[in-house]
Amino acid sequence: MSNQRQASSASQTPHLSPAELSYLYTSLSLPKSPIRPDGRSPTQFRPLTAESNILPGTNGSARIGFADGTQAIVGVKAEVEKTVLSTDTLASGEGGESTAATSGHGSWVQMSIEIPGFRDDDALPVFLSEMMRESLVGAVVEGGDGGGDVMMAGGLKGRLVINKRWHWRLYIDVLLLSQPLSYPLPLLSLTTHLALLSTKLPKLKSQGEEDPFFDDDWEVAEYLYPRGSKLKATSGLASQYVRPPVTLLVVSVGENVIFDPSREEIAVADAVLAISVTRDTEAGNLKLLSIRTIDPPSRLTQPAVPNSENVNMLGATAPTEDIAVLNPATGEEEVPGVWRPRRGGVKRSVIANMIKTVLKKGGVGEEVLEGLEGVEVE
Amino acid sequence: MNDRRRVNGPPGGTRPPVYASLLQSGTGADIRAQRQRQPTDLRKIFLKTGLIPSASGSSYLEFEPSASLAAARSNPKSLIPPSSALKLACTVHGPKPLPRSAPFSPNLVLTTHVKYAPFAARKRKGHVRDSSERDLGVHLETALRGAIIAERWPKSGLDITVTILEAEDDRWWGDVPDSHDASWGMMNVLAGCISAASAAIADAHIDCLDLVSGGVAALVSDDSTDSSSALPKLMLDTDPAEHRSIVSACVVAYMPARDEITELWLKGDSSKVSTADGDERSGHEALIDGAVDAARGAHTVLAEAVRESLQKALGQS
Repeated sequence: MSNQRQASSASQTPHLSPAELSYLYTSLSLPKSPIRPDGRSPTQFRPLTAESNILPGTNGSARIGFADGTQAIVGVKAEVEKTVLSTDTLASGEGGESTAATSGHGSWVQMSIEIPGFRDDDALPVFLSEMMRESLVGAVVEGGDGGGDVMMAGGLKGRLVINKRWHWRLYIDVLLLSQPLSYPLPLLSLTTHLALLSTKLPKLKSQGEEDPFFDDDWEVAEYLYPRGSKLKATSGLASQYVRPPVTLLVVSVGENVIFDPSREEIAVADAVLAISVTRDTEAGNLKLLSIRTIDPPSRLTQPAVPNSENVNMLGATAPTEDIAVLNPATGEEEVPGVWRPRRGGVKRSVIANMIKTVLKKGGVGEEVLEGLEGVEVE
Repeated sequence: MNDRRRVNGPPGGTRPPVYASLLQSGTGADIRAQRQRQPTDLRKIFLKTGLIPSASGSSYLEFEPSASLAAARSNPKSLIPPSSALKLACTVHGPKPLPRSAPFSPNLVLTTHVKYAPFAARKRKGHVRDSSERDLGVHLETALRGAIIAERWPKSGLDITVTILEAEDDRWWGDVPDSHDASWGMMNVLAGCISAASAAIADAHIDCLDLVSGGVAALVSDDSTDSSSALPKLMLDTDPAEHRSIVSACVVAYMPARDEITELWLKGDSSKVSTADGDERSGHEALIDGAVDAARGAHTVLAEAVRESLQKALGQS
């Protein structure tokens, strides 16, 4: 337990020997063609099963299970709440542009993540929920002028506004059903995305500044994120709809950029980034919302001892066997095949390369968003 | 999870009364804090190490008050200060042996605590750390772990505690939150935490690869005319109270000697930016480079503070 709490952001460090780590690192850092332990290509995700609208008591829900048995369930619930007016809005009265009432507030979206084996105030769940909430409420859409959706002006925060005095409060509760085998971010983010896509809010019957009054027919409820008709979606016009962000876990090993790392892969990563993207409704391409570095667990691993420094091997090795060479990715002198824990940070060029791989046209980000769009939400 | 053994104060707290007439006076333009510095100018930093004798290493960091705050102090017009200046103290305890119950660790085990003093922000913070403080703690840990050479202290622990005495505002106090609103002040606080913790670690004589310093850059749209054609501009070391709307911001922890980033936290929409002619960088690249420039600036102060503390230590012995 205490071990878990110390390894806060990096999840648990797997118990791999230095020789295993070195083997993994060497095969993952092969130039241009990394060999992953499970045979995936660098941009390939693990196979998963997804379904949405599984919980009848929620406004929207989803379940995603990875092939390794880890599953997450997300339930989204909405409540109507009175908006607290600030002094400014009260003072300015009719004429003033009360921005609080039209653009929403980030605190209206609440997120909680429950991971077995972690207390709810441990660093990992707090860090994960802040990371996902930040990109959710940060996605701002310049709406109102033609191109964008009028409904989604101001992004999710703007969508939650009912009128000047009332708003929706959204509770997103994430439940991881099993011990996290790898860093649980991709699983949680994909499930949250799917749950938000399937979230419906009751149709508003009252108008303007009246107290809100809703249609009790669930059939006519409106999607939180408006969805197009089937026809539109297939003809490629789906890109004009605002979509919730997805957070992708990207690692760099040597010169390679690898997506959706498994537990063993993340253990040898030089750098780990969580990159949140969403679709830009105006330009149609992907938009960056947030980046966070995650502490790579490779810094906590045990170092190996080269033969030249090993007392037991004294005289048994040729002096030319252990020659340290410069690893171009980390800038450190290393003996090939001898594992050294990572030190230092990431070069700016590596970060730029990782972001480029996510954002580029036809890249991984688009592929993931398209795949999630394809999940039947009925 | 609330602490049930302690009687906490009211969560909301009280604020001094604000009269509508005060806010209405010329739409508050005269009392609104304005950035007086150039976009690439940084605020001055006061950094001193070794102020807490019981800790093995400590530092105190203070940002220069903005021009409007300095003016308001000498010639107060309102009860409410227009902006705030970051003040924080950092202590380092260790390296010390891990407790017997802890499992074996081949590396130095780093724990970071970031805590706002209850009076640090305009809204009172409770005694129990809330999620934003825990979040800051994780960021700080990531930033420092890359710099410390951890394998030189097996089976040891290092506790780093940062107490924030005065935090940065998230926006100008009179503004209502708009659609770009987020906790921007937290990013400045994190940059300060990184620099201060780095100085305190050096003061505790713990081996590091380099002094790691924090820097903030932001894309700011300040135009009150609200013309959509005006693109957000890049500014270094932004005080959120001095700007109308921050579109996106980035904080880095940077080691100049190795040209490496140990911590990067970027949020907001960085897709649009007005750059100089011939500048082909995209918004997020400009933002990261800007934050690195700010961190380089902070590094000079950090190096000087560490040199001073070493001279003092040599003079005493």
